[in-house]
Amino acid sequence: MIGTLVVNDIKLFFRNRFFAIVTAIGVVFYLAIYFLIPNQVNESLGVAFFIEDGEASPLFQRLAEETGDYTLFDTEAEMLTAIEETGDYFVGLSFPSGVTAAIARGEELDLNAYYAPGVPAEAKQIFHDVLVLIANAANPDVLANLQRFNDTEVVLGNDMTGAPLSFRDRILPLILMATVLMEIFGLATLLTRDIENGTARALITGPLRLHEFFAGKALMGMILAFGQLLILGIVTGILGRAPLLILTTMLLGSFLMVGMGFFVAAISKNNTSVLAWAVIALILMMIPGLSVLLPGLATGWMKVIPSYYFVDSLHRILNFGAGWTDLGRNLALLLAVGAGTLAIGTAVTRSRF
Amino acid sequence: MAQPAISVNDLHYSYGDTLAVDGISFDVEEGEVIGFLGPNGAGKSTVVKMLTGQLTPQQGSASLLGMDIVKERKQVQQEIGIAFETTNLYEQMSAVENLELFAKLYKVASFDAITLLEKVGLGGREKEHVAGYSKGMKQRLMMARALVSDPKMLFLDEPTDGLDPVSTETIHALIRTATQNGTTVFLTTHDMVEADKLSDRVAFLNQGKIVAFDTPSRLKLSFGMRALKVEIELPDGGAEVRELSLDQDQTAQDLFELFKNERILTVHSEEATLEDIFFDITGRGLQG
Ligand SMILES: Nc1ncnc2c1ncn2[C@@H]1O[C@H](COP(=O)(O)OP(=O)(O)O)[C@@H](O)[C@H]1O
Ligand SMILES: [Mg+2]
Repeated sequence: MIGTLVVNDIKLFFRNRFFAIVTAIGVVFYLAIYFLIPNQVNESLGVAFFIEDGEASPLFQRLAEETGDYTLFDTEAEMLTAIEETGDYFVGLSFPSGVTAAIARGEELDLNAYYAPGVPAEAKQIFHDVLVLIANAANPDVLANLQRFNDTEVVLGNDMTGAPLSFRDRILPLILMATVLMEIFGLATLLTRDIENGTARALITGPLRLHEFFAGKALMGMILAFGQLLILGIVTGILGRAPLLILTTMLLGSFLMVGMGFFVAAISKNNTSVLAWAVIALILMMIPGLSVLLPGLATGWMKVIPSYYFVDSLHRILNFGAGWTDLGRNLALLLAVGAGTLAIGTAVTRSRF
Repeated sequence: MAQPAISVNDLHYSYGDTLAVDGISFDVEEGEVIGFLGPNGAGKSTVVKMLTGQLTPQQGSASLLGMDIVKERKQVQQEIGIAFETTNLYEQMSAVENLELFAKLYKVASFDAITLLEKVGLGGREKEHVAGYSKGMKQRLMMARALVSDPKMLFLDEPTDGLDPVSTETIHALIRTATQNGTTVFLTTHDMVEADKLSDRVAFLNQGKIVAFDTPSRLKLSFGMRALKVEIELPDGGAEVRELSLDQDQTAQDLFELFKNERILTVHSEEATLEDIFFDITGRGLQG
């Protein structure tokens, strides 16, 4: 019974082009961000260059001075030392002489990319693809003729496991939270639409009981949110560490999202205002994520926003190895707020049928 | 005597200060088609909503198939089919998907959506999203959905309001088929022709009250003026219409006199319509 309802809702969810795109692209997009961010402690995103071509060099020098993220080195050896020792750069690119002319002619050329230690394979792949894209953009005539970049991988230095938190580790809880938050919007919209269009009425004056209708909606929200968290969890490999605790936290985070979805539906008058309220809810709920990213921001008032307890839990499990006892309060709060908002949402929306 | 299919006793409903249904009582036999006829705002939909469990009566009681509409609301709802006043379909799904969803939820064994859709004249368009359907097609799909669980009783709230003649005729045919199978039909309408054509009995609803409730022919008999209209030629070449009531003793004599003394052009019999009678009783028409 409820299964039928959930299948139907998920079908409707993916027939909505916006939600389908946000959900599908969302997961991929978040993963791309995650893997693009270097797994380095010092948050370096700089790119080092060595350009053998004497003519191109001064031009690039000026460019580098303006942007700052790029640094031009006089020799390849100097560049390699800088990547290894300063940790300011995530990749170094070595352009042999005549490269600009070769690109202009649409010829194949070899480039050497030297990655800093700890840059994951996925990030290298993405970086490689971006380079190919840029090279092709530089000369549209040769678009079909893909430039081959020889990204000879030279890992310099040691892996930095056990070091202070990298930017990537910091951002993961935020990414996980952003994923579920989007579903607040999806769930609130589906719920409001069912009520506005009278389909909810058709269901509950027919085969369904009111609580079955709400249970179906809640379950659908749980499946969508938890499903995405699970995918992200598996791909990023975090489930290997404390699977039960992480899964529980993910479940409760999804439950909070379901409650918030119901709550947003309750305070929205119609299909239009649900958009406005959902955006406000999303922005509010994102704020605690920043506290993880920039620890200095974590002030007391953020704890009023319930998503804090989700992102904080993830942060502590993933980055500090927190256990069940450390997180008991957080998880209980997630459950309580989820149940509370769910109850409010149910009570308010049922009067609109 | 078998228990009535619908038994209503002194139902009341107000929306705030607006008294919508003001103490109505009636019984409906199984297999009957009841036409609830009344102008907009008479309270027809409010009656339907109470009987189908969408609104709880503020006073009075009613039972459907022997079950109390408040205490056994869900059981009642499992036995009835409703075509709502306003379209409420899943617009992003096809007709087949709309019907199959309800069939699954009702746990209908071996449900055949295509056959049902052909019956309502939607064969061939069944895979399209409902959003692209015309009003008449949507309304026919609403009828089909009401029929999914093969209910013992149908509630149709102005099912043909604003529809094209083809859709209207399809829906009328569906109602007739349903009654042949013994389904009780509760139909609301402000179209007196429709009420006359389909209903075994008609209830006149005005300002929340039932002001008359009988078969269409008896209503016409007791309230209506049946008359003969006789057109005669005048000496100057013009024509004049004389009206003779059919319900008076001297009608035969009057008619005889006319035929004997005048040159008759045409003779028509005239019956009151339900609308005339409604107007006689309430002082208002059905279109208000
Ligand atoms: N939701 C509502 N809120 C307030 N008044 C309503 C509502 N629904 C109907 N009414 C009023 O109740 C009366 C009966 O309405 P209704 O049952 O819809 O009549 P009908 O179906 O015969 O047109 C009307 O005066 C109408 O304005
Ligand atoms: Mg109505």
